[in-house]
Amino acid sequence: MTDIVVVVPAFDEEACIGDVVTSVRNLDYDCVVVDDASTDHTAEVAEKAGAVVIRLPINLGVGGALRAGFRYAVDTGATTVVQVDGDGQHPVDQIGTLVQHLDEGGYDMVVGSRFAPGGVSSPQSRLRRRAISLLSATLRRRSGLTISDPTSGFRAIRDPLLTAFAGNFPHHYLGDTFEALLVAGRRGYRIAEIPVEMQARQGGQPSTALPASVRATLRALTVPFTGCSFDLPPRSPG
Amino acid sequence: MSTAVKQALVLALGGVIIMLVILALTRRRLLTTRYTLGWLGVGAFVALAAVTLPFVGRLGKVANITPTAVLLMLSSLLLLAISIQLSISVSLLQERLRTTAEAHALLARRVSELENT
Repeated sequence: MTDIVVVVPAFDEEACIGDVVTSVRNLDYDCVVVDDASTDHTAEVAEKAGAVVIRLPINLGVGGALRAGFRYAVDTGATTVVQVDGDGQHPVDQIGTLVQHLDEGGYDMVVGSRFAPGGVSSPQSRLRRRAISLLSATLRRRSGLTISDPTSGFRAIRDPLLTAFAGNFPHHYLGDTFEALLVAGRRGYRIAEIPVEMQARQGGQPSTALPASVRATLRALTVPFTGCSFDLPPRSPG
Repeated sequence: MSTAVKQALVLALGGVIIMLVILALTRRRLLTTRYTLGWLGVGAFVALAAVTLPFVGRLGKVANITPTAVLLMLSSLLLLAISIQLSISVSLLQERLRTTAEAHALLARRVSELENT
């Protein structure tokens, strides 16, 4: 196994997961699909396309799937994970750019951003765009990080942050994206973003019921009072 | 028999019934010891309330609340405390279940890997 693993959390993504895995495998990366107790044939399709499949026995949400994926990566000796959504909206061909930025900048995490200058996003409702900027502003105020797209699930992560995440990672909505950034930023991990082009989802259903913009806004407004739901060991210098 | 005594008897009966139900549930292993003890305490509290009712009446007089209202208030507070405690338990269990499910998935993967070699 190489030291880079692509982790794809997937819930009922049989329509797209095959293409995602195939394009990752074509770039010669190891691909781990964490099947979050799908009710369709996500696991079979992914396996056939050449992915290592981890099947969660119960639905845990994106954060649970990711932590299992991180754990697997760390256990098999990987030092870098690139996280890609299973619905085909992330540009797999830019994985190399994320990793390159990670190495050259000496970062612990690099986020692929739709909204950084040069990035491309599928059309977003104004409400949703607002909610994301609110999250971004909250993140900047509370951790000093400037990330224009804190809800992006297209990210490269490497040790020591990867090992820290494998031990402790939140599983509720926005925990795996916004809160993970907030806590990592506060604990001194080095995080940057680069612009990427994202598509609209290629099939399947989005996994949240309440409008994402409403939940995102609520979380941004409550986090100063509730604090974060998890913690990480501080980054040791060096 | 005065009304106060009748009230006290009804309350005490209620307390005893609660305790009996809890004991029956425990014997059928539907409740763990931890919760049995808590609920037995609640039963005992209700049974004892029969004795402490006159005191409750006096407590109410201070704030000009009827004894019934004081009792209702106390029981609501108790129920609230129990719900909060249960929420805490559920949150903790969720986290443990999650960790177990992840470990299970990784082990299942490892086993199938070993079986295929």
